Amino acid sequence: MDKILLKLVGLFKGLFNSQGIDYARMMTIVETKLTMDKRRVYMNWKQRQQKKENANHLNSVLFFYALMGLFVAAFLLAIPSLMLGMIIVHTYVLFMMSMTLITDFSTVLLDTADNQVILPKPISSKTLFMARLVHILIYLLQFTIAIAVLPIAVAFFRYGFLAGFVMVFTVLLTVLMAVFITYLLYLLIIRFSSESKVKDIVTYFQIFMTVVFTVGFQVLPRMINFSQLTRTFELQWYSYLLPPVWMASTVEAIAKLQFDALHLGMIALAFIVPIFTFWFMNKYLAPSFARKLAAMNNGDTEKRDTNKIIVQQQKKPLSSLFSSMVCSSPVEKSGFQITWKMTGRDKSFKLQFYPGLAYILVFIFIFVFKSGKDVATVWHSLSSSASFLWFFYVPMMTVSSSIMIVAFNENYLASWVYHSMPISKPGELVSGMVKSLFVKFFMPVFILVGAFCIYIWGIEVLDDALFALTNNLFCFLIFANLSDHYLPFSRQPNTQQQSGKFLKAILQLLIVAITVGLHYLLIFTKLSWLLWALAPLLGIACWFLIKRLQDLQWKQISI
Amino acid sequence: MSIIALTQLKKNYNGTYVLKGINLNFSAGEIIGYIGPNGAGKSTTIKILTGIISDFEGEAMVLGMDVRKNPIDIKQRIGYIPEQAALYEVLSPIEYLNFVGKLYQLDESLIYKKSMDLLKLFELDDKADMRMNGFSKGMKQKVLLISGLIHNPEIIFLDEPLSGLDANAVILVKEILAQLKHAGKTIFYSSHIMDVVEKISDRIIIINKGEVIADGTFESLKSEAHKGSLENIFTALTGDSGYQSTAHDFVDILKN
Repeated sequence: MDKILLKLVGLFKGLFNSQGIDYARMMTIVETKLTMDKRRVYMNWKQRQQKKENANHLNSVLFFYALMGLFVAAFLLAIPSLMLGMIIVHTYVLFMMSMTLITDFSTVLLDTADNQVILPKPISSKTLFMARLVHILIYLLQFTIAIAVLPIAVAFFRYGFLAGFVMVFTVLLTVLMAVFITYLLYLLIIRFSSESKVKDIVTYFQIFMTVVFTVGFQVLPRMINFSQLTRTFELQWYSYLLPPVWMASTVEAIAKLQFDALHLGMIALAFIVPIFTFWFMNKYLAPSFARKLAAMNNGDTEKRDTNKIIVQQQKKPLSSLFSSMVCSSPVEKSGFQITWKMTGRDKSFKLQFYPGLAYILVFIFIFVFKSGKDVATVWHSLSSSASFLWFFYVPMMTVSSSIMIVAFNENYLASWVYHSMPISKPGELVSGMVKSLFVKFFMPVFILVGAFCIYIWGIEVLDDALFALTNNLFCFLIFANLSDHYLPFSRQPNTQQQSGKFLKAILQLLIVAITVGLHYLLIFTKLSWLLWALAPLLGIACWFLIKRLQDLQWKQISI
Repeated sequence: MSIIALTQLKKNYNGTYVLKGINLNFSAGEIIGYIGPNGAGKSTTIKILTGIISDFEGEAMVLGMDVRKNPIDIKQRIGYIPEQAALYEVLSPIEYLNFVGKLYQLDESLIYKKSMDLLKLFELDDKADMRMNGFSKGMKQKVLLISGLIHNPEIIFLDEPLSGLDANAVILVKEILAQLKHAGKTIFYSSHIMDVVEKISDRIIIINKGEVIADGTFESLKSEAHKGSLENIFTALTGDSGYQSTAHDFVDILKN
């Protein structure tokens, strides 16, 4: 796709040259940047794809966006009201573009290599600026096309040529708004914080994005209830303040040839505001933005580092408190603490693990509300069902993934330290790690879920909660015992999974099914007193499982 | 006429001056060592001379031109090799050099030929088409060195040119610098330690806290060092001696 777009840029060659822009150099920069875009590993995408050297990551991301666009196109097809359909499409475009820009585009904007590589070369700042702009435009167009092509096609098909034609423009204007929003956001972040903060904030946006994707894919199709969307649709006065409404009104005005004062006003807003903000951004924001970025990247690194180093307070942290509660030996404690601290600070762990937590909500939603009845009736009859079992056991499905993720780290070579130490029982590092993950990630979720269940079902479910807790711990330890034993943060990222995974996965599922089935059986047969009797037994089993981890020998540790 | 001239050069970052009025003149064909501890202002000086930072006080002339007024013309005729191996790692060396060469407006086939030949000299020709994210720091540094020299510049600025290079590459770079000097090039490099390259420098400038504190040949500085206040900084930079007591304390603490 970028090839065609580059050709389009070529049509304006004369114009660029007449503006004092060095066309050949500009295109060199643009082409190189587009090549790099294709090779960049997209954050939202990382965990799904095993790294392939020549894979065009960008294309897979674009394909994914187009797939999301399919849903929205389906909305447009199904909703009778043109206005509502258009509002949904434009809101979607605005949201997707802003989020994409904020997350992935940040690597383009904040590329520190850029200043070091291109600035020393004989390029006028005008040419460089234009090269950046053209690159940005091509980049944007690629995403715009992926996001909006299907909805636009539907508009052509359903509302005629005129509507589709206008929509092409309103979508482009919406993208301009998204660019403006991104710029403003970055300006704000840069204004009030440092470069490392910017990257942190971007990480959280990426996590948020991944959550939106996963939740969107699972929940949206289930929530679509077209019959409800049709009649009761009316715009409040404040909705006329929102850009998607301007765009939708514009499409409606032209498609239905309604040119009353309101529609004309909306058309005016739709065209004037994005173009004005874009002009304003170019004229006033971009230069100061570029200067700030340059200052950020060019600033005396040696000096800045000493000022901005994150100081870790010496006060007793939570990790040492918990580690002394649940760990026995110093080695185990150190395994516990390093896991606790690194998982809180390592960006790629957060990116891989936190979005998974969103699945807890998604799965609970799917399992509890799957019955086909609408959400409200299920909600009311909730307290008479045994659905709390889902609440108790779903969290483990995602939290258990941490055992696998925690082994990976970019800085995996640092794990030489374990091997150079006089550690006779490396299993204690593993058991410390497993305990840390359970306490840090499972317990808070479980406490929340438990509190919710007690609120809905009353204090009677306390015994179930306690039994479920030991049961979950048992399952977690089974997973830990069955998986390959890696020391925390010792594996190179993107390495291939070992074979034999499938059998283990089946075994894990089986064990979970048996334990949860047992719990269900006890409730079903009204033998809940047995819960109290079985819990200690499970506790003893857990103790043995921990013991087994602690006793792992060096030769059982995978490298 | 001097090829580089700095007059009352000052640079201020958020209210503190990292350069406090540098006055220096260099003539063509010299190898200049610009030495100072971390944070002395070395990189800032180089970034001003190469036109990367345009916001400073005082005068900076390179090749007889004002760096603020003619940055493009200057950049075309100088080469800059930054520290910390900053380059586009997802590209292969050949792609990267092609990119850089085109920015210098060299002919594409010439770039390819030159790049391959130079990569061969650095024993990287077998990796010419591999992406650089797997490269070691030394390998990237070699690619950077080529990218900064491919347009045959008149002045070459190097920021910590030897960091990360293996011992053989250090000798090679040192020899290349000597040959470049022989070909009439001016070389301006910065370093935080006195290392092998000092021996081939015509002139060494020592700066500390944004001020020039010594200027002369290695030999003259060395003999002068033992007379006065220069001694401490010189010792620190050459790493000659003076650390015995610290080392002694270090070992003492370990015994406890």
